[in-house]
Parts: sequence; C-alpha cells; structure tokens
Amino acid sequence: MRPARAASALLLALWGAASLHPALASTSKDLFEGGNGAYEQGRFQDAAAAYEKVVAYGVADPRVLYNLGNSYFKLGKLGSAILCYERALRLDSSDQDARFNLEFARGLIRDRIQEPEIPYPVKALKDVLDTLPLELVGLVFLCIYYLAASLLGALLLVTGAVRRRVLGYGAAAAGLCAILAAGILYYKIEDRASAHAIVMTDRVDVLSGPSSDNTILFTVHEGTRLELRNRRDGWYQVSLPNAMSGWVPSESVERV
Amino acid sequence: MRHGRPGPVLRAVLPPSRRVATGRGGAARSAVVYLVALLAAWMCAGVPAHAQGIGVRARVDRENIEDGGQTSLLVEVFGPSLGEVGPPDVSGITDFDIVGGPMTSNRFQWINGRTSATRSYTYLLRPRRTGSLRIPPLGLLVNGRTFRTEAVNVEVFPAGSAGAPGPHPSPPGAGPGGGGGPGRPARSGEGTSMVRVVADVDTRTAYVGQQVTLRVLLDTQTEILNLGMKDTPTFPGFWAEEIKVPENLEMRRVVNGADTYSEYTLMKRALFPTGSGTLTIPPLSYQIQVRRRSQDPIESFFFTPTETITRRTEPIAIRIQPLPSGSRPDGFSGAVGNFTLAVNADRKDSRVNDAIGVKVRVAGEGNLNAVNALPLPDLSDFKQYSPKISASTSVVGDRLRGEKVWDYVLIPLAPGQQTIPPVRFSFFDARAGTYRTVASPPLTIQVARGEDGDAGTGAGLAAQRDVRQLRRDIRFIKQAPDGLRDKSVPMYRAPWFIALVLLPLAADVGLFAFTRTRDSQRAHARQRRERRARSLARRRLKEARRRMSPSMARAFSAEVAQALTEYVAAKFDTSASGLTHDRIEELLATRGAAEEDRRTFHRCLEACDYARFAPTSSGSEEMRRTLLAAEEILVRLERSLAA
Repeated sequence: MRPARAASALLLALWGAASLHPALASTSKDLFEGGNGAYEQGRFQDAAAAYEKVVAYGVADPRVLYNLGNSYFKLGKLGSAILCYERALRLDSSDQDARFNLEFARGLIRDRIQEPEIPYPVKALKDVLDTLPLELVGLVFLCIYYLAASLLGALLLVTGAVRRRVLGYGAAAAGLCAILAAGILYYKIEDRASAHAIVMTDRVDVLSGPSSDNTILFTVHEGTRLELRNRRDGWYQVSLPNAMSGWVPSESVERV
Repeated sequence: MRHGRPGPVLRAVLPPSRRVATGRGGAARSAVVYLVALLAAWMCAGVPAHAQGIGVRARVDRENIEDGGQTSLLVEVFGPSLGEVGPPDVSGITDFDIVGGPMTSNRFQWINGRTSATRSYTYLLRPRRTGSLRIPPLGLLVNGRTFRTEAVNVEVFPAGSAGAPGPHPSPPGAGPGGGGGPGRPARSGEGTSMVRVVADVDTRTAYVGQQVTLRVLLDTQTEILNLGMKDTPTFPGFWAEEIKVPENLEMRRVVNGADTYSEYTLMKRALFPTGSGTLTIPPLSYQIQVRRRSQDPIESFFFTPTETITRRTEPIAIRIQPLPSGSRPDGFSGAVGNFTLAVNADRKDSRVNDAIGVKVRVAGEGNLNAVNALPLPDLSDFKQYSPKISASTSVVGDRLRGEKVWDYVLIPLAPGQQTIPPVRFSFFDARAGTYRTVASPPLTIQVARGEDGDAGTGAGLAAQRDVRQLRRDIRFIKQAPDGLRDKSVPMYRAPWFIALVLLPLAADVGLFAFTRTRDSQRAHARQRRERRARSLARRRLKEARRRMSPSMARAFSAEVAQALTEYVAAKFDTSASGLTHDRIEELLATRGAAEEDRRTFHRCLEACDYARFAPTSSGSEEMRRTLLAAEEILVRLERSLAA
C-alpha cells in the first residue's frame, strides 16, 4: 500500500504544481489559466511563456494572443505586444480591448507616421466595418443570400403576373443586399489576409534594395507596422502608409 | 562741480528723454544771458520777427556735421508775455529726419520789474544727404498770430572727410563707447569735464524668473542741459518691468578719491530671466547735451555754448541657473520669489443657489504675470464659474511686488456645512534656493436650504461632475471560462461555409432547369393537341353523320356541338367542359378569326343546342345543313387560325 500511496501523493503534488506553475500545466486551458495566474501575480515572464506554449499547441484563440500581448507590454517588448494585438484582432476584429491596447501601445512607439487623410464618411464606414466580427458578417451574408436565392427559386416556380412581379422585385432587392453583404465580407477577408509585419528590433534601416550595400532610405523602430509588398532572398519589400518604401531584412520584422 | 543740486529748468516731454536740471548759478546766468540777448536783439533789430514784443528764432548747435551725425535744432519764442503758444510747424523740414523731440522748456524771468518769458522747442535732426542743407523758416502760432523763424543752413560733409569738424568738435572720448564704461571717468572734450553713463545690476547670478535689478547712472562733473536715449532699450532673454524714477532726476554727490562728481539715476528696470544660460544686457546709448567751456568770454557771457556727446554703457553678462527639477512640487505655479496666499469668502452663511464670492489672493515679491493656473480645486458641492483675474504690480525698494487675485463665484448646491478645501500655491524661493508651498486654511460655509425649500442635490448626495481620467494603462487580461477555441481556420475557409454558399446556387440552377423542361413538355403537348384538333373534329362529325336520322337527332346535335367545342378547346389548349359560347367567341377573337366566321360558329353551336333541347326533333334536311355548316366553319377556322 505504501508505494501506491506515495504514487498518489506524487501525482497529487504534480497536479497541484501544474496548476500553480504554468510550465507544468498539461492542457492548453491549464496553461492559459496558469498564465493568467502568473500575470495577476506580476510574473509577466512566466505568463508570456505559458501563453506562448498555448499558441505553440496550435490553439489560435484571440484571448490567448491578447493576454500574450499584455504580458509582452508589461515586459516592455512593444514590438511583440503590438504583433500579438494585431494577431488577436485578425482572429476577432470586434475585440475592443485588443483594439484599445493596440492603440495604446502604438502611442508609445518612436515612429510617428502621417497617414493619408481619409474623408469622414469613408473613415466612419471603415471604423464601423473594422469593428464588425467576420463571423457576423459571414452569417448576415448567408442569410441575405439564402433569402435572395429562395425568392429567385419561387420566381421560377410560380405563375401569375402579380405574384411573379412581387417575387421579382423581392428577389432583386435581396440580391442587391446580398451583393453588398458579399462586398463587406470580401473587405473583411482582404483585411484579414492582408500582408503586414511589425518591426521587432529596436531599429531597422530601410534600404533601397534587397542587400546591405544599398542606400539607407530611412529608419523605423520597434513596433512600427509595415505593409509587405514583396519578398526576395531573406528581404521584405515594405511600405509605410505615407508611401515611403524600401527593403528590410526579414529577420528584423515579424509577419502578422 | 559748481552746482549743488539740479533745479527744474528743462522739462522733457517725450520719453525716454530726460532733463537734467542745471544748478542755481547756471539758471541765474542763463537768465542774464537771455535778457541781454533779448535786449540786444531788440536794439539791433536782428530778431527775425517781433510784434507786441514777441520774437521767435531758430538755431542749431552744430552747423557743420558729418553724414550720419546729428544736430540739435532749438526753436525759441520769447517775449514779455507769451500767452498761448503752439509748437512749430516742422513739416517743411525735408532735408533732415527728426529723430528726437520736441523737448519743451519754459523760462520766466523778472528783472527790475520787467518780465520776460521764453519757450523752447528742441529737435534732434539727422541729415538725409550731404551738402548744404537748409532748415526752412518755421511757423509758430502765438496768441493766434503766426510768427516765422529765419532759415538755418547746415553743412553736411561725407563721413570721415576732413571738413567734418564743426565749430564744436567732439573731444576725444566723447564718441559712442568712448568712455562710457564704469572705470576711468571720461572727459567729454576740451572744454568739458567728466561725463559717463554706468549700468549696474544687483546680482550677476540668478535663477530663471528671479528679479535682477538694472540701474543706469549718470556721473558728471559738468552741467547737463539735456539728455535722451539713442535707441529704445531692449533686453533679450528678459521680461522687463520699469521701475519709475523721479521726473526730476535726483542728484547725489560722490567723492571718489580726488574726483568729485554728481550722480543721477537715469533708469531702473526689474529684469526677469526667461531662460537659463548666460544672458547679456546690451549696451545702452545716451545722447547728452552738456555745457561747453568756451575760451571766448563774450560767447560764454552772452550765449550758452553746448555740445552733444554720446555715452554708452558696457554690456553686462549674467549667469542664469535653471530651477531645480528634482524637488519640484506637483502643481508648481512657475512663480519665483516670495509670496503669501490668502483665501477669503465674502460670507460664511449662504443658501442653496445663492452665490458666494471667494477671493484667492497671491501677493509678494516677484513676478506673477506668468502664473496662470487656477488655484481653487474642483468643488463637488459648489457650482464653480470661471474666475475674474486681476493683477497689479508695485515697486518697493527697487523690488517688484506682484499681486494676483482670482475672484470666484461659487453656487452652493447642497445644504449643510460645506467646506472649501485648502488652496495650495507653490513657488520657488530664489533666496533660499528651494521650492515652497503655502496653503490656506479650509473655509467652512454654512449652507441653508433655498428660499423655496430647495435642497439642491440633497445633503447626502454629491453634485454630479465629469469623471476625469487620471492615468492610462492597457486593459486587463481576459479569462476563458468556456474554454479556448481554435480560430485559425476562418469561417470563410470552412467547408460548411463553402457548401452553404454553393447550395442555393445549385438549387436555383436545378430549379431553373426543371422549369425549363416542364415548360418545354407542356409546349409540346399543346402543339400535339392543336395538330390533332382537326382530325378529332372530323371523327366527331363522321360519327354525327352516322347518326343523322330523325330518331337520333339529339345525339347528332350533341356530337356536332362536341366536335366544334373540342376543336376550339384543342386549338387553345384548354378544357372543353368550361367553354361557353361567349368564351369561345372570345378565344377565337384573340387568334384573329374573322367576325363572320365567329358568327357562323356561334350560330352553328346555337342550332345544335336548340336541336338538342327543343321539344320537337329536327328534320333530316336541317341536320344535313347543320353538318355542312359545321364542316365548312371548321375548314375556315383552320385556315384563319393557321394564318
């Protein structure tokens, strides 16, 4: 009986330790909760390690990335924090907390880039669309799409001029709405699939070509968001919102 | 030095010119000189204009000057009694720029029962070109009459030319910078004694915002007739406040070794550095008109030989230290000096919604102009209006004292004992080199209910106010009570989403195909029935012919009527059972059947109906005609419907 008791005690101790220390936790949920506990105790390094393991398990939950971004922020790693917030927003663009923290972290980076001015109606529409979750847009699209398809099917089946006219107008209106919803869905998909990267090093020189002997055009610093336009031999061709463009080593940036 | 103290002889009109009074001896001698001059002018008729004893004249102190130099134009009106005198009309002076003046002075003398008065206007002129320049006759309005001076000529030589020295050459050391320093006293020239202008500050090291007092002194061993600043003084890097000096400059006798001279304070400024580093007070230039000693006793007796010299102070460098940043208290107002704070309410008892006046007063030595912060904190139980701010400055012992008062109007919002918390004011004490914070005691206001019993927001309730953001930070981490979800595959890439998108598309396409097929089949059936309509009608008519006997008259008529009706039904792909005569005619009309044919068809059907339902049976001949008519109308309809 003694070995059995000892084994039980050992298992119990391991379970307890696993719940207390994130590195020993087995499942992704345990790791996540362990990371949360470490974060709440101010052990941000341990919390970040736990969240990283959850990500390494292949669990792409926006809350994990959000918490990981918070841990990096508390550790002073602005580039990693911004990268995590960006990734969290890609998974759930309606996450207002991630959006707030991303804006907050962006306010602390060194580079200030003048973005081209967008007319107010366009900007307002863009802001609304950015906050809509992709799943909701997809479901709305499906509903309108099915309505339009049903009306069209009915139009094919029914006879009688009046009924056909009513169904025809209804199908046309639903079809237009479905096209609009499809456009919004396409915008969201494009936004999610757009190629961006975050500068992860303290500073990186942007060169005129994909080799180190090219002219330095300008310098960007940790946390700055770059648009990826091309890739060649370990170099990314990047551009800024103000149309400044150049090449950076791929190891200095991390793709969102 | 012959003068004990200055007397009020010259009076400056425009700043920054200053008058320095001559001594009593000088005044007496001037009176004699002008009296004699007046008499001589009267006797020799040399005065340019005179009437009722009034005379005017104009002269310059230097008739030969260099280009860029200056000459002083003196215009005098004299007479036993002047009355109302207007300034001279100098608009006619076109060869010179008037760079100073007019300085006005009045003299009045009473000698042996006779009085004489003189009013002088002095202008400082700078020539516009070289050569022989002319000051035209100047008109003066005296007691409503116009008097004119004589023209005055001035020779202007190019700068540096040999002909520059005039009748009163400037002595060595009398030029700009030539002896203006505080060291060795400079001699103004051959016939004058030491004259110098010295600038001095009370400290050469100060903090930002600390007062530095600048004094400009005039040391002289000779009589000063007039003086003025060459340029408006500027003090870059300083906030300058003027410290008034008496209109009549006060003299102080100074004995410095073997030298004895008079000292006048010309200017005082309270300077407040606005930045740190080494700041420099630039030189200040003065033009001084002094009495010149003349070797000619007649000139000395009858006239007042003068010359204008320039004196300049030395620049003064002051090291300005920044305010210490380590111990700077929160809410530091920016004031430097030594201040007191007082907070008073105009009453201690009030009612809800009755205004209370609260006065916050900061006063003391230093400059308060830069203090803009509102000293009263936010009060939850009072409605607070923007204060009325008043500020004033005064000078006590060369130190600038400031006072700033914030007048607040507070409206009590709730009854009960309300407290205005202590007001704090932080400043930097430059003498002690530390920051200091002064605070007022809290003020207690007893607030009663309003006249109509208004309890405001209630005794236990605080008034609403905006929530203020104190600091910013990222938002907290998230929990996952429902477990984690993998969202790596977006919805739009999920197979179910693609299937759902394709499903209605496929359904509609299938439905379309089905309806097309159905319609096609229906069309074929209709065509087939239409094609078979004639043969079917013929068969029916053949059967009718077989029954064409009086005993079977009704069957015959029914067969004919059915042949006609079914023919139309087949042609129009409809049911024969519901076809009435009117409906048949209507259908035939839609396909363009001739009206005669429709009428014949109608008659034929009526004849059949009549034969079927009439009590008497038809004869053979009548049946034969009916059959022929039916066959004929079918032929005609076949043609017209086919067309």
